[in-house]
Amino acid sequence: MQKIEIFKITSLNREPLIVEGYFFEGSDPKAPSVAIVGAMEGKTILPLYTASKLVDFLKNSINDSKKILGNILIIPSINHYALNIHERFWPLDKTNLNMMFPGYDKGETTQRIAKKVFDTVRGYTHGIILETRDDLSTCMPYVKEFKSGFEDLEDAKKFGLKIVHYKDLKPTDTVSLQYNWQLWETKAHSIICPSTMQLQPDSDEIFEAIVNFLNKNNILQHKFLGGYESTIVANEAMQIIKTPKSGIFVPTKKIGTQVIEDEVIGKIIHALEGKVIHKILAPCNGVIACSYKNALIFENAVAFRIARNT
Amino acid sequence: MQILEIFSSKLPVGENLVIKKSRFEPNSKLQTPKRISIVSGIHGDELEGQYVTYLLAAWLKKNPQAIRGTIDIYPGINTLGIDSITRGFPLYEVDLNRVFPGGEDDFLPGQLVHALALDVQGSDIAIDIHSSNIFLREIPQIRINKEFSNATLPLAKELNCDFIWIHDAVTVLEATFSHTLNTMGTKTLVVEMGVGMRLTQEYGLQLLKGILNLMQKEGIIQTDEVFEVREPFSSEVGDVFYLNSPCSGLFVPALSHCDVIKKDDKIGDIVNPLDGDIFETLYAPHDGILFTLREYPVVYEGSLIARIFGGNDAKN
Repeated sequence: MQKIEIFKITSLNREPLIVEGYFFEGSDPKAPSVAIVGAMEGKTILPLYTASKLVDFLKNSINDSKKILGNILIIPSINHYALNIHERFWPLDKTNLNMMFPGYDKGETTQRIAKKVFDTVRGYTHGIILETRDDLSTCMPYVKEFKSGFEDLEDAKKFGLKIVHYKDLKPTDTVSLQYNWQLWETKAHSIICPSTMQLQPDSDEIFEAIVNFLNKNNILQHKFLGGYESTIVANEAMQIIKTPKSGIFVPTKKIGTQVIEDEVIGKIIHALEGKVIHKILAPCNGVIACSYKNALIFENAVAFRIARNT
Repeated sequence: MQILEIFSSKLPVGENLVIKKSRFEPNSKLQTPKRISIVSGIHGDELEGQYVTYLLAAWLKKNPQAIRGTIDIYPGINTLGIDSITRGFPLYEVDLNRVFPGGEDDFLPGQLVHALALDVQGSDIAIDIHSSNIFLREIPQIRINKEFSNATLPLAKELNCDFIWIHDAVTVLEATFSHTLNTMGTKTLVVEMGVGMRLTQEYGLQLLKGILNLMQKEGIIQTDEVFEVREPFSSEVGDVFYLNSPCSGLFVPALSHCDVIKKDDKIGDIVNPLDGDIFETLYAPHDGILFTLREYPVVYEGSLIARIFGGNDAKN
């Protein structure tokens, strides 16, 4: 394993930000390669944890280095400055690094960072980006794949996560790492991690999914048990459930639960008087893919997303 | 004048999120079907537009007999952000000017911008007033997407601004208010002026005159008052030069904003407050007008320090 410096940026008052990648050289020059990008935002614990666990696993648990067939680069974090103070975006100007790709070496700070990261990860066969949702919800782990014209859904299924969300491309997605990485011919996928600030007993699910992905792509000779036959879910198959009332949100069904039509999946409590003012019913059969993550919810906010059973 | 709600949502604890507009119409039957919408406060840290809408509403109240068409004023779109000094939509941390056109099934910020777009739709003209951000100070300028410039450039010239910047179409900007409304058929202009979190009164008065002039030319108001407007310089006849910080430090400007400068004039220093050293001295890369200048002193490598319009000598 070799540590490589991807970029270093100084600060007026903080210690320099030094971002490093962990490079594992494969034993087979003909094997495909992969680059994995962890936390780009500061409130993304699972991306950071998963990437760092991969570093430890490859470094300390793979006892025969020949089992690493293809080159593997892992960048656990590119935004330590935000992580260390619980900011979501770049702390000074609040710009989102994942809206700066492919980057620009003469541009603003985050454009320059994006450029250095992109130059480093370009050319890998596969790319994995660990993200969390950009709204106020949390979710079961799933693969996000843009309808960009460059996507590879069969490759996305190799993670063995239940859902591959096949999303329409928005204008702002054209400056994301996934889109640009695909444009430069890497099979890039985003894994959307639950937006938790604390690790749970099942927090290794994504780590195991990535290892199995590397195994199926002949990059690593190791695999874990399990994995699902992924279902491709397009926007039309994702049912949005909004709450007509604001107040205290109490989900009564967990994320990942199968629910049936008309089943109560949550309730809204009047924030000052305590009574239940609305019961949220499942409008269809399916699995709860996402749920609003805060206890206080706005009127007409999206409370749940259900992936309909086919 | 009527005060109308364009969007309302109950907040969790005893409060409503309400977006309002004021509508000014002639006292008698409409004399022109034309409608103009003035929008500000899409970013919660930008207040220059609120001063302009105040001035405009006050002028219209004082001169009701001048009104010939419909004037809709939307002073604050990101109301929660404005009252909490937050640029994006609080809690969601999203830039409202990157989620247009939104939709009814979208997340709350998407629902809000959707309601705004539907309400402004049908206007002949819309003006979206921004104040740069807290980092940069801008002279009054109009930003125009080349894709819509045939329709919007003649209007921009009436607005009494100093500079018209016509930029190339960029996919990511399709998620903005102006692109959405231009696509819907409303000629929409973006004004950038001043600096975030502050009011620059002279700029507010300058733009007010321009808006009144434009409305007079379009027949939306009719008055004997003459609004003399300045002729803006345009990016059609020159280039924009960027100056980004080569290092991190504290930026100390050496020039006033909006100065006419020569190549190699000193723009400022990047200094180290710990040991008194000067990290770098910055010089103008070209002759021209310093139309953007760093306001917030803390910089990282790459932070924008200044933009200069100039060059293209024969045309200029």
